[in-house]
Amino acid sequence: MLKLVHRAGRWAFLRVESFFNLAFGDRLNPLYYLGPISYFLFWIVLGSGLYLYIFFDTGVEEAYASVEQLTHGQWYFGGILRSLHRYASDGMVLTMLLHLARHFVFDRYRAFRWFSWVSGVVLLWLIYSAGINGYMLPWDRLAQFVVIATAEWFDWIPVFGGTLVRNFIFPENVNDRLFSLLSFIHIGIPLAALALLMVHTQRVPQARTSPPWPIAATLSAALVVLSLLKPALSQAPADLASAVTVIDFDWFYLPVYALLYRWSPGEVWALVGGATALFLLAPWLPPKRRRVSKEGFHLLVRPDNHIISVREGESILDAGLREGIAFPFECRNGGCGKCKATLTYGEIDPGNYQKDALSEAERAAGKLLLCCATALSDIEVEYEPTEPLGGRPIRTYNARVTRMNRLAPDVMQVFLALGPGEQLDYYAGQYINVLLPNGEHRSFSFATAPHVQGEIELQIRLVPGGKFTPWVFDHMQVGDTIRFEAPLGSFFLREDSDKPIIFVAGSTGFAPVKSMVEHALHIGLKRNMLLYWGVRRPQDLYLGELPRQWEREHANFKFIPVMSDPAPEDHWTGRIGLVHEAILADFPDLAGHQIYACGSVDMVAAAHPAFLARGLAQEDCFSDTFLLPAHKPGGAAEIMKPGGGR
Amino acid sequence: MIGVLRFLAQLALYVPLMVILGYFSSAPRFAHLPQDRALMRVSFSHAGERLRECHQRTPEELAKLPPNMRSQLDCPRERSPLKVEVELDGRLLLSLDVPPSGLHHDGAATVYRRIELPTGRHEIAVRMRDRPHGDFNHRATTTLDLPPGGSVLIDFDNARGGFRFRS
Repeated sequence: MLKLVHRAGRWAFLRVESFFNLAFGDRLNPLYYLGPISYFLFWIVLGSGLYLYIFFDTGVEEAYASVEQLTHGQWYFGGILRSLHRYASDGMVLTMLLHLARHFVFDRYRAFRWFSWVSGVVLLWLIYSAGINGYMLPWDRLAQFVVIATAEWFDWIPVFGGTLVRNFIFPENVNDRLFSLLSFIHIGIPLAALALLMVHTQRVPQARTSPPWPIAATLSAALVVLSLLKPALSQAPADLASAVTVIDFDWFYLPVYALLYRWSPGEVWALVGGATALFLLAPWLPPKRRRVSKEGFHLLVRPDNHIISVREGESILDAGLREGIAFPFECRNGGCGKCKATLTYGEIDPGNYQKDALSEAERAAGKLLLCCATALSDIEVEYEPTEPLGGRPIRTYNARVTRMNRLAPDVMQVFLALGPGEQLDYYAGQYINVLLPNGEHRSFSFATAPHVQGEIELQIRLVPGGKFTPWVFDHMQVGDTIRFEAPLGSFFLREDSDKPIIFVAGSTGFAPVKSMVEHALHIGLKRNMLLYWGVRRPQDLYLGELPRQWEREHANFKFIPVMSDPAPEDHWTGRIGLVHEAILADFPDLAGHQIYACGSVDMVAAAHPAFLARGLAQEDCFSDTFLLPAHKPGGAAEIMKPGGGR
Repeated sequence: MIGVLRFLAQLALYVPLMVILGYFSSAPRFAHLPQDRALMRVSFSHAGERLRECHQRTPEELAKLPPNMRSQLDCPRERSPLKVEVELDGRLLLSLDVPPSGLHHDGAATVYRRIELPTGRHEIAVRMRDRPHGDFNHRATTTLDLPPGGSVLIDFDNARGGFRFRS
């Protein structure tokens, strides 16, 4: 039943949003900014309320008169602000309810989202309380109705039992202090709501708290026009000696009060209490989601080469933003398509979105919308960064092969030279994408440090059956031209820290480490550096003499090779095992270190949580991975993203 | 041209939104009390007599008490519930048994009832018993002409002579 409601609601929202897209475009559709618009309207209510408070007199006789004076005496400003105060608060109720309904039908209120949902429900009641309380202040017939109805409603509770309404039963019972109290409440509740609003939105990564300015401007203008055409007015003054008969009524705030006189107060309490309890408990009510492990799934993000966790039901966009990935996004509701990316491995639920934002053909080609898609397994996603790292632009280069050395049977060292006058600035540890004629690309890390001008070194590992590396080994000649884009990736040496560094290289993951170490030694970095290089057998240390030389020449550098599968004839007497396990054995506590890990995705996926469990801070753990052939859709035979020679 | 069309389309969507805001912020009007009706409210707070009478302690009883608690009068705390009845034009409209408040039933009993009445001339009689036994010991009668939207409040203040009708 609930699923049917969700489905119907989603259908309705998507249709209406699609209709609005025709008028507003997909990036300025107000329905994609219901939360930020509520925030914006709240600021209008607060701002206008402060002005009204300046002129409001807290007295039995003065309250009504001061509001009338404000409304009519300075209609051109105070009157407009009073109307804005009312219409913005009414609009806020409308947008909040729509915001809540959208999250409900899109099933974005359960699991880790429970906090935002529950705080949102509490927020809704605070806003209602503040609004209803506000209607008591002008002390007109509506105010009379609202205070008496509130007292009658609360008097149903046995502890009050008819005593509250006696405060309003005689005209002489109401004195000036009542208005001071009401004003105090009318300031206090919105301040509490504002604090909760900040908590509510703070949980959402990079949540917008204001709509795009064209929406804010148009909405403000529309509210001002409405205020001029239909100003908010007081009704007749309150008169406790006579009964309230027929009154103008705000149906955004007061429908429950109308019900109070159709049902009994007890029934209304049951409705309001029951609905509140139902809403508060909604995140834990059936149907249950498919349970996955508590930590969810792993997400490998390209080109950043970060591995992050994605929680059950969490959009990939939210997961990325939460971990500081600079995913592009705009509407966050599957309308604008700005967060389009490519799924290169794994299974996802693409979610619900506008067909204009992601066509069937794009979907079939592996595209997804980060804001809508959720992970159903460990996944790999590639997106196009909008901001180049450090402001260094990504562009396409043509380079000539100048030298080639076979470092090992399956590792080729390739040197490239750019065209005359061309220069490529990059950070030590970044990579290039070699562009293949068929439109595909293969990625290789810079093995040279950035200060080395003239040549770019790559270490390319042979992948039998691949589309590029066999060509490198069998056909590439000195003088050939390679086309590539660079610089890419966020795996680079952080120089703004004084923590000791542990480099972890798996097999040919040595390339970016070489770049970073040479750069560190070049700039005279004094931090202690420790390199663990894990390979199968000693002969796989294709440049093993180089780190030993660094160790001899620099007191702050140490090198520990680790063999995972040495043969008896290797006579290996050094460390044996998995490279990350060697580190765990050496470091019971990794707090206070920085780790740069580059290797296979399996190595990094195993090492990353193990390092964090040993006290390594998330912000001190940097990884660069390459994808094994088995992970590629269609079983492509080549390793796709070398951290250095894949 | 597309820009103009878009602007008009946005206008066409903003106008209904503002109409909805403008209209439902004050309309349709709510009939809290229909125009042809009047309102009677019964509201008072009154402590009934003690459920059992005070009695003078004997010297023997006093001697058994600690010196600081030797009060001559022994008054049980529990008070009598109120029995309240209201008649409109000779017809019983309201009959209430109102318990005293408090964990020990020693507080005042509070009555609040809101009753809509037809407009016009009415004879209203109210009576209350605030003791455990016997007939009603507080009574009042009045005749009122209640206009549409008129209101009458039945209050009770023992110090001011009992029931009062305020309209």
